[in-house]
Amino acid sequence: MSTVLTPATETAVDPVTLEVIRHGLASIAGQIEANITRTAFSPHISEYKDYAVGLVGTDGYLVAQARGGIPIFVADSVGTAVRDGLQIYGIERLHHGDVVLCNAAAVQGQHLNNVVMYTPIWAGADGKTLLGFFAINAHWGDIGGAAVGAGTYRSTDIFMEGLQLRSVKLESRGEPIEEVYRIIASNSRFPEELLGDIAAQLSGCLMGRDLTIGLAEKYGIETFLAATRLILERSEQLSRAKIRQIPNGEYSAEGVMDNDGVADDPIPLKVRVIIDDDEMTVDFTGMAPQRPRGFNSGRHGGGESIARLAFKYLIGIDESANEGTFRPLKVILPEGTIISASDDAPMAQYNAPIPTTIDLILKALAPAVPERIAGGHFGSHSSLSFYRSRSLGRPFKSSDSGHGGWGACATHDGGGPFRTMSHGDTRIVPIEVQETRVPFRVEEFRLRTDSGGPGKFRGGLGFVRRYRMLGPCLAFSNVDRHLTEPWGVQGGRPGVPGRITVYKKGASEPEVLFKIEDYLLEEGDVIVLETGGGGGYGPPEERARELVERDLSRGYISREAAERDYGLKLPNGR
Amino acid sequence: MKSSPPRGNGSASHAVAVDIGGTFTDLVAFDYATKNVTYTKAPTTYDNFADGIATCFSKADLTPAAAGAVYHGTTLVINALIQRRGAKAALVTTKGFGDVLEIARGNRPDPFDYHYYRDEPLIPRERRFEVTERMDPRGEIVQPLALDELDALAVELRRSDVDAVAVFFMHSYANPAHEQQAAQRLAQLLPDAFVTASTDLCREWHEYERVSTAAANAYIGPQVKTYIRRLESDLRKGDFTGVLSMMGSNGGVLSTERACTQPIALVESGPVGGCIGAAFYAQALGFENVVSFDMGGTTAKCALVEEGRFAVTSTYYVGGYVKGVPIKSPVIEITEVGSGGGSIAWLDELNQLHVGPRSAGSTPGPVCYGRGGTEPTVTDANLLLGRLNPANFLGGEIPLDVESAAAAVRERIAEPLGFDDPDGVLRAADGIIAIATVIMSGAIRRISVEHGRDPRDFVLFCYGGGGPLHASALARDLAIPTVVVPPEPGNFSAIGMLLADARLDHATTFVHPLDAESVGKMSAIFAGLEAEAAGTVRKDFSPADVIFERFAEMRYRGQRHNIKVPVTGLVDVAGIRHAFEEDYRRRYGHGDAQALVEFQALHVSTFGRLPRPELSQLPRAATQSAVATRPVSFGGRPVESQIFQRSALAPGFSGVGPAIVEEYGSTTVVWPGDRFEVGSMREILIHCTP
Repeated sequence: MSTVLTPATETAVDPVTLEVIRHGLASIAGQIEANITRTAFSPHISEYKDYAVGLVGTDGYLVAQARGGIPIFVADSVGTAVRDGLQIYGIERLHHGDVVLCNAAAVQGQHLNNVVMYTPIWAGADGKTLLGFFAINAHWGDIGGAAVGAGTYRSTDIFMEGLQLRSVKLESRGEPIEEVYRIIASNSRFPEELLGDIAAQLSGCLMGRDLTIGLAEKYGIETFLAATRLILERSEQLSRAKIRQIPNGEYSAEGVMDNDGVADDPIPLKVRVIIDDDEMTVDFTGMAPQRPRGFNSGRHGGGESIARLAFKYLIGIDESANEGTFRPLKVILPEGTIISASDDAPMAQYNAPIPTTIDLILKALAPAVPERIAGGHFGSHSSLSFYRSRSLGRPFKSSDSGHGGWGACATHDGGGPFRTMSHGDTRIVPIEVQETRVPFRVEEFRLRTDSGGPGKFRGGLGFVRRYRMLGPCLAFSNVDRHLTEPWGVQGGRPGVPGRITVYKKGASEPEVLFKIEDYLLEEGDVIVLETGGGGGYGPPEERARELVERDLSRGYISREAAERDYGLKLPNGR
Repeated sequence: MKSSPPRGNGSASHAVAVDIGGTFTDLVAFDYATKNVTYTKAPTTYDNFADGIATCFSKADLTPAAAGAVYHGTTLVINALIQRRGAKAALVTTKGFGDVLEIARGNRPDPFDYHYYRDEPLIPRERRFEVTERMDPRGEIVQPLALDELDALAVELRRSDVDAVAVFFMHSYANPAHEQQAAQRLAQLLPDAFVTASTDLCREWHEYERVSTAAANAYIGPQVKTYIRRLESDLRKGDFTGVLSMMGSNGGVLSTERACTQPIALVESGPVGGCIGAAFYAQALGFENVVSFDMGGTTAKCALVEEGRFAVTSTYYVGGYVKGVPIKSPVIEITEVGSGGGSIAWLDELNQLHVGPRSAGSTPGPVCYGRGGTEPTVTDANLLLGRLNPANFLGGEIPLDVESAAAAVRERIAEPLGFDDPDGVLRAADGIIAIATVIMSGAIRRISVEHGRDPRDFVLFCYGGGGPLHASALARDLAIPTVVVPPEPGNFSAIGMLLADARLDHATTFVHPLDAESVGKMSAIFAGLEAEAAGTVRKDFSPADVIFERFAEMRYRGQRHNIKVPVTGLVDVAGIRHAFEEDYRRRYGHGDAQALVEFQALHVSTFGRLPRPELSQLPRAATQSAVATRPVSFGGRPVESQIFQRSALAPGFSGVGPAIVEEYGSTTVVWPGDRFEVGSMREILIHCTP
């Protein structure tokens, strides 16, 4: 990368200009994010916000990122892809107007639906100075593979999960490469939706590139580049200052995933956190070995992303993350674990262990920073997807996301129902909309009484959603966290895990389920999703009596729970 | 524009606008007979707002009897919602769905806020009641409404002493029959309660947003109703015989009767006045596209005005998206940032300079007010740069203390940043303004770019105390060539109200593909909505003219977000498709001629044209005053600048910056080399050199 122009001596950037450029970069990422949300076709992007928008530096490391988007991408899911492209092409073969795609498991290490698209940003009078890359990671709804939309427990290698594009150009010098578009369209079950999403992603990259050039040229390219380096340094300093506030020491936590949806054995999750002055190390030695089924993720998309996410939740810095934020964070990650799996491992359910592992890293630190660490959250995706394969008619897929309770903290009850720690601004699709698309009628949607872990502050509640089927379709779900319940901290007690109950028409007994795939539902069947609650904080006996009474009068807790968990004495017959 | 007197009896010769803000109540009175205009201000009286209004009337030497029309904007609704000072309200809803209001959309808009939680819903769980009934998405009854349950519920509601009841049923947008039936029944059984149905406010799907709107309407209903009735009766006691109208968030006025049933329509009643004013001035001055920019003590607000129209958003979040409650009620699309005159400049632990969003407000206020403020603010920085006159702030009512402002900036900003040379304080003050500018220009970029507009094609129209002070710097940052400062920028919101038309908005969910059959249905639905709205507007206001604007919310099939396309006069598939594609391409830079297009909702805005004063008659009479000079700092360098008094600048006056124009309640800054002139309506026009 010797041809990248870097100033021989560091250009001085005055503090005001630095701040103005920092605001400018955040504003560009925010504008592109808003456009993506509004133009994307698939709900994964527009409702779940399953995307990330970022500016990557000339060396392939994240400089700025939009605030929204999904947290699992915050750990620089875009930079890895750019670095792979830089290695393959070298900057001399990445021209103005080139647009590159990457979703390879060997690079990102996540399910193949996460596709990074980026374009180089060449600026200056002769267009020969590289400012970096404008990059967008987005969830592509379907890119082939054995299962509709890739949600499956059954694949045994990555090749069953769809099309891999490893640093492939989609556009060359501003012209579309038709062949690549054809390859993509002919490998998707929903090409119309996918091409719409790609158009949104592409226009975001190009618009982001042009806005970045405008900003850089306004303040001078050397100043701009110097400012981006300073921004990373500042973020690094800020992270180090935050780590210094945590007492030195070694902290650890462990738990299990119930199973992988096919085999029955629990999957051990183990983390150790070392705080050493202004550095934090996350050691994943002892994590379960890579699985034969799709619970795996690669080193970058798995372990490294998990450590970064937990770190970001921990330090709670308001500004969006960049590579500097994570410089004081070290990761020890042996080869071949479920979060550092081989390039050919199945990864369709790569995200399943992530929320719990983040939660465990935070739990490990509970003795060190008790005022900061909350009880465990419900921690499992708990989504319930309804779909049809060709055998039942026109294929469709509709995901109802599972939102559950979060842990209570030192100052208030747990929040929620929200989605997991992998998610953020992820919205429930309205029932009034779902009922026009999926053959069901929702009969009940309410908070789940007694699901929050008891404590001085109570864990957040999960929900109950009851569907009556009006026609046949298949269901998929991923409920977990039974063996490792959403724990309480500082004497707080665990929340109640989630479950699915099916009342088949005519059957005498309901069936209780957790992970299902291709489960046939027919007209008249009733399926109930109950999501988990969050863990409590502090001993329940310390809870203020008026809060216990309020919870009882609101039905957040039952009469039995008020007496059993909080020792509330109730007059008979009340 | 007709300049005919408003209705009322023979002696009622004035049109009066009253704007109640957080700090001041402003009144503007226009005398149709003499063409005189009077401006008065009094402190807002929180225990009874009508007292402040009475003070404004008497300061203006007016009695309510002289007013043929009173237009009224108020922050009552937004304050009650944000400060949670509303009624004891109950919710009646479909069996199984009592928690929709509390579960909301289950999102965490601030993804890394580990301890994020939502505020309590406006109606707590113990006051949410369920009754048996159910519609399906086509509006067909799945389960009839259980009237006996409703009657039993009424007894319980009466016993628990609720002041207001919101009724919300699933899929009521498709068939409001059950909701209406339940609301009527409850209103009969609970004659003292304020009863509202979600479909009275919104006919669109998305259950959480609709129930949230109904809950908010019930929550503020009793209070607003009491307020309006009391104000009306106070005015009548002063022999007011004219028409009292309320300023709606959609940019039009509505009758007090409607405001009492739909108080949520007043949620942004205050700030919209300025947008209306900007729209009228822009049209009169021949500017097609305007960014209106209003900067006050704690925030700056901007909105786009295109061809005299402003964008109206259909989902408004009370208190912002991160934690706010959504309201499905048309609100002028205003983007607000926490950057005002009182915004505090501060350094973080890494010595990075920030401005706002914390504000010193009016108490203690900026350091230079000498009321105990210790943290430097934007106003202090403007003072140090020479842009504000320490002896002529609010006409000299508040003398400004330059020394203490300088000391605060030196100690808290300049020295820690290492600016310890003699110019350090000025450089720091310059930095504060630069950062405030980038925050505000970011807001303007957001509203324009998100609509696919280039800010360079707009004129920057600025008002509020701080707007004219910062406009030229903003225009430079955005490469906007022209800045307009209207007369009376400090009272501009009230002026705008004087110019408002009556306006009603209706929307309905309409999920159909774009084809000939749907377009036929669409036209029939539009005609129905228009006939209903016209009847209401005619009854409430007897306007000279009723005008309709039609919009369709559309998208490519498979997309999840809609764009609102103007379709007035379009009755065929090709024309509508063209309008959609044009709009889409402009916003997002791409489009698809092959993809299928579908409708999602239809909107009609109905305007009743009301009499209003001529713009050229609105400024105060001219006075004489000498021109002074003083040093003003631009780009870190003090430059000797001319100082004008606004009232002395007659139409036709022109000059070249550096210059400062002072007036009561605002100060205009003209940068070196910028040409400025005073137009026929006494507006100041600044031509910014890039």
